Amino acid sequence: MNEYLCHDFKTPRIDTSRRLPSSFRAIPVIFYLALAGSAYVMTMDYFNYKKALKQKVDAEERQALSETQRDAFKNEKADLEAEANKADQVAKWMEGARNIQPIAVKIARAVQTDTRITQMALERSEQVPANIALTLHLNGSQVSTELAAIEAALGQLLYRSYSPQQTKNGDVVEYHSTLVRQAD
Amino acid sequence: MNPKQLACIILLMVIGTMTYTAQIIHKKVATTRAEAEDAETAAVTAENERSTAEIETTVFKSNTEDLRRFLRSWLPAIEHVQTQQEAEQNIELSLRERGINLVRSRKTESKTSVGNKLIPRSVITTLTIEEEFAKVLNWLGDIERRLPTARMKVVQITGGSTITQLKMDVSFETPIFDLAAADADKKKAAPKPKAKATKS
Repeated sequence: MNEYLCHDFKTPRIDTSRRLPSSFRAIPVIFYLALAGSAYVMTMDYFNYKKALKQKVDAEERQALSETQRDAFKNEKADLEAEANKADQVAKWMEGARNIQPIAVKIARAVQTDTRITQMALERSEQVPANIALTLHLNGSQVSTELAAIEAALGQLLYRSYSPQQTKNGDVVEYHSTLVRQAD
Repeated sequence: MNPKQLACIILLMVIGTMTYTAQIIHKKVATTRAEAEDAETAAVTAENERSTAEIETTVFKSNTEDLRRFLRSWLPAIEHVQTQQEAEQNIELSLRERGINLVRSRKTESKTSVGNKLIPRSVITTLTIEEEFAKVLNWLGDIERRLPTARMKVVQITGGSTITQLKMDVSFETPIFDLAAADADKKKAAPKPKAKATKS
């Protein structure tokens, strides 16, 4: 190799392609920033995703458990309602099925020996079975006193005479009233 | 296009892909977080509903305790008479044990109530007996004790054929409860709690 050629190598050469604009230097910086940013965001997203997934599964389990318990309570309430409904109907029936014998006994014991009960009828009302229509035919000298005694005796059984009526038919006094039971 | 420009474009594409992927993942995470929040809200709602149901059940249980206890106390009496034969048998036994010898008439008929699921059938007994005062009233008390669910409809006492005797016409209805059929009717509205009725 001669000297001329060596010298020729050292001479400045013109670029084969044109230089890029200066602003393009930012592209590698942006690349690194994007790389770092994406890595950060994706890492945080990964943890957030795992956390959200766990939270979702936990919440769904809690929801399922709560719904099961809620259904159990609703079923229990439905059973209680059915039982209470039956109890209510039975109570209504029993309210109209109170014993009548104590009434008959009280009336019989309330009258004195000189007064005679020729007829006694106790009839339950069809519409309000708790109410009892009382009919008495009495024969005696002090019927009014006896009737007051009967009403007082029935009061001991918590029955009140409602709309009592007396009619005299010869020696016999006919007494009609509706016995209404008072609250305990 | 020279190699430098090509390298820049490739780099920009890589940046774009990375950003896009990060965005897609972020959106997916945001969706999952929203779903988690929805699930949390649903869980809280379900817990509130459970809590409400528990309170309602407890309150209803407490309010109807007396009424339900009343039913439980009457269950033996209700189950005691489940057929017409059992009702008639009780009447027969009562007449025999109380020494009622003169039964002038006796009629038993079955009554069906279509609308009443709790008491679909009942037995209506009509009797005319004649005996001494004490025996008649004691028998009345005895039949009410033996058939505590029976509803006396008419009791009429008049003088008997002799001065010591009384004639009693009595008509009563003995219900045949069907508690199992009533169980099927759960959809009825809940009744208001009411005071316990007792048989005096």
